[in-house]
Amino acid sequence: MTIYNMYVFDKYGTLLYYGEWNRLRKSGITEQEEAKLMYGMLYSIKSFVCKISPIDTKEGFLYYKTNKYALHYLETPSGLRFVLNTDIGATNVKEFLQQIYAKIWVEYVVKDPLWTPGSPVSSDLFKLKLDDFIKQSSLYGIRTI
Amino acid sequence: MSEDQIFEYFHSEIVNYLYNEKTGNDLSALEYIGYASGYRLIERLTREWPRFKDELDTMKFICTDFWSVIYKKHIDNLRTNHQGVYVLQDNAFPFLTKISDGSEKLEHAPKYVAFTCGLIRGSLANLGINSTVTAEVQTMPSCKFHIQVNRT
Repeated sequence: MTIYNMYVFDKYGTLLYYGEWNRLRKSGITEQEEAKLMYGMLYSIKSFVCKISPIDTKEGFLYYKTNKYALHYLETPSGLRFVLNTDIGATNVKEFLQQIYAKIWVEYVVKDPLWTPGSPVSSDLFKLKLDDFIKQSSLYGIRTI
Repeated sequence: MSEDQIFEYFHSEIVNYLYNEKTGNDLSALEYIGYASGYRLIERLTREWPRFKDELDTMKFICTDFWSVIYKKHIDNLRTNHQGVYVLQDNAFPFLTKISDGSEKLEHAPKYVAFTCGLIRGSLANLGINSTVTAEVQTMPSCKFHIQVNRT
């Protein structure tokens, strides 16, 4: 299993953080363009899923999967959007994303007095803690099959 | 848990409010808020306590009970030269633990310790010790508070 990369958007679609671990293929466009594209797609999927759903949904869009990778999506009540790309074997990624939010984001971004809400995260401490958390998780680097 | 967070956020906003480009490097307002809070706080904290034997006893109280009421932990190290200089070292000072280490962030450190300097000075003042308190941050999140007792 492996984790490829991660995006964090706020409710206005600003890219707050982008992290990369095992990304093998680049998109060939700048990070900002890629973020806009990604956010646009997520926005579309979200409204598509809501409209087309035959029953009332509580959580809406959770993830999608291709033959090669899976994209996991977590939206907090405050409108933060965590997006994590993993391989298709990854399990329990929703809980994992929730932990990243509660243990890393809230602790080292929200509680950092030098961070202004709505601005991209530049804290090295956050980057370090996120790296540690990702690398220690069972989703990262271990091939089970 | 949540009341600690309120204190943390409140403190960082007070710092933002009082300390900006316009006021420059003036930390005295922040220090005074700390002084007044410390002065009042000590009234309530010490009501169960007998009188302190001496200065060192008072300092030990600051390092243990006083610190744990405010920051939920003890001071990691207390040193003194027995001539009125005390150094209180906190290896993970709560107001600094969420700020990333690095030289460009280090310059922000003084404004997050000024309140606490005042807090120490105010509480000591109410316990009958006039002092000057300064803080020193070499690497985040460790912080040393230097207490110089003023003898008259």
